[in-house]
Amino acid sequence: MKLFIIKFLAVFMFFGISSVYAAEPSANSMHQEETYKAQPLGEMMQGFLDSTGVSALLNPSPDELNAHGHTMSDFHKTWGRVIMIIITFLLFYLAIAKGFEPLLLLPIGFGGLLANIPLAGIAGDDGFLGIIYHMGLANQLFPILIFMGVGAMTDFGPLLSNPKTALLGGAAQFGIFGTLVGAVALSQYTTIFDFTLKQASAISIIGGADGPTSIFIATNLAPELLGAIAVASYSYMAMVPIIQPPIMKALTTDAERKIKMTTLRHVSRLEKLIFPIMVLVLAILVLPDATPLIGAFMFGNFLKESGVVDRLSDTMQNALINIVTIFLGLAVGSKLAADQFLVADTLAILALGIVAFSVGTAAGVIMAKIMNLFPGHKINPLIGSAGVSAVPMAARVSNKVGMEYDRSNMLLMHAMGPNVAGVIGSAVAAGVLISLFK
Amino acid sequence: MDTNLVIEGAKFMLLGMGTVFLFLILLIVLMNAMSVIIHKFFPEPQTDLSASTVNSQKNHKTIVAAITAAITHHRQA
Repeated sequence: MKLFIIKFLAVFMFFGISSVYAAEPSANSMHQEETYKAQPLGEMMQGFLDSTGVSALLNPSPDELNAHGHTMSDFHKTWGRVIMIIITFLLFYLAIAKGFEPLLLLPIGFGGLLANIPLAGIAGDDGFLGIIYHMGLANQLFPILIFMGVGAMTDFGPLLSNPKTALLGGAAQFGIFGTLVGAVALSQYTTIFDFTLKQASAISIIGGADGPTSIFIATNLAPELLGAIAVASYSYMAMVPIIQPPIMKALTTDAERKIKMTTLRHVSRLEKLIFPIMVLVLAILVLPDATPLIGAFMFGNFLKESGVVDRLSDTMQNALINIVTIFLGLAVGSKLAADQFLVADTLAILALGIVAFSVGTAAGVIMAKIMNLFPGHKINPLIGSAGVSAVPMAARVSNKVGMEYDRSNMLLMHAMGPNVAGVIGSAVAAGVLISLFK
Repeated sequence: MDTNLVIEGAKFMLLGMGTVFLFLILLIVLMNAMSVIIHKFFPEPQTDLSASTVNSQKNHKTIVAAITAAITHHRQA
């Protein structure tokens, strides 16, 4: 009996609610009929044809604006979009078939595809890509969150057991500053580039081989170049296994490549726990401008090493970083709109980026050779290239090249030291650049 | 404005590389100091570990012998 009453009530409520809802659409349609004018079928067809993508690509409307509300050239509205869509397909190919940083290139590529759709305005201020961009990229939130996750994934053990390899991570930052000088010199004395000091700084940070740091600096110093800088940075990081080995082999002798390094000592848990706090305190004292990046990085690492908040550290390493990666990729992709990417500056950025990257790699290797001139345990110069951040790819490359010459020479853990020092080094370099432009 | 951008860039390089190295050198000094202090005052309890290694010394030797044999076999093959 009780059940029956409940059923009866439920049915009654259902009808009551649906009748309320039914009342609204009818009022709406009344309103719509007032504004809607009857049209002949021919005009309707014509109107529909004008709103198709084919028509928008072939006969662009002269008053269509880009995501920033500026006018665009006809090229950027028509063939530019087609070219960009083909470029995004190329990114898909590289990510899926070649395995180049698929976690980032796929969201970036798809964001680029969506940003180049005519009429829909997905990358505009009201489109969802535009909203994501303003939510976390324009204000530099996403790179910071990524750094937190990377911190929670990083093990500083190899660095702590062989502290002097941190110098290799410092030397690799020469890629940033060397390219900066080169870029401003070419802007000053030739007509190839025309970059301001700020833009040149934002471009040369690609040499740090650290995606989040590049994005952090680009949004800070030269937001107009963000798309090209982010794409260059992540594609070169993905191409570490192709770019680095020739440079490493050119700068080392056969005997140097076969150097065996002493086994790493055991690092106590207390050391690993104190380390993040120590780095942060040092950053506070030396360079507070680097503390947003270093602070987030060390926060993630501290939670991991504390060992008492596995749930939080697990979230940072997985759920959080995955969610932010999706958003970050799409937001960067929104900057691949034809009118922003298909400009002469992009080619210059791609060229300077690879120079920065190669110089950084070379500087790390040379630094290792210089350190070998001093007494003490010898360092295999192949781990110097891991001083560019690109964790853990660069370390894997060192290991792989080392194994080519001596199958029993495991350099992976030795290379992780300069690798994580490179992350700290590029965060410091970023802090210096930010403080100089304040 | 007649600033020489190249000289500005060189200043950036000097300051930037200087700061990066200063930071990392300080970090190396601190890491070494920390390691010394921690090993002196807060050594990790390793008693049971060393006991077990003594007990299994012989066991280790047989394992090492087996691995060496496997490697030589692999190299010859």
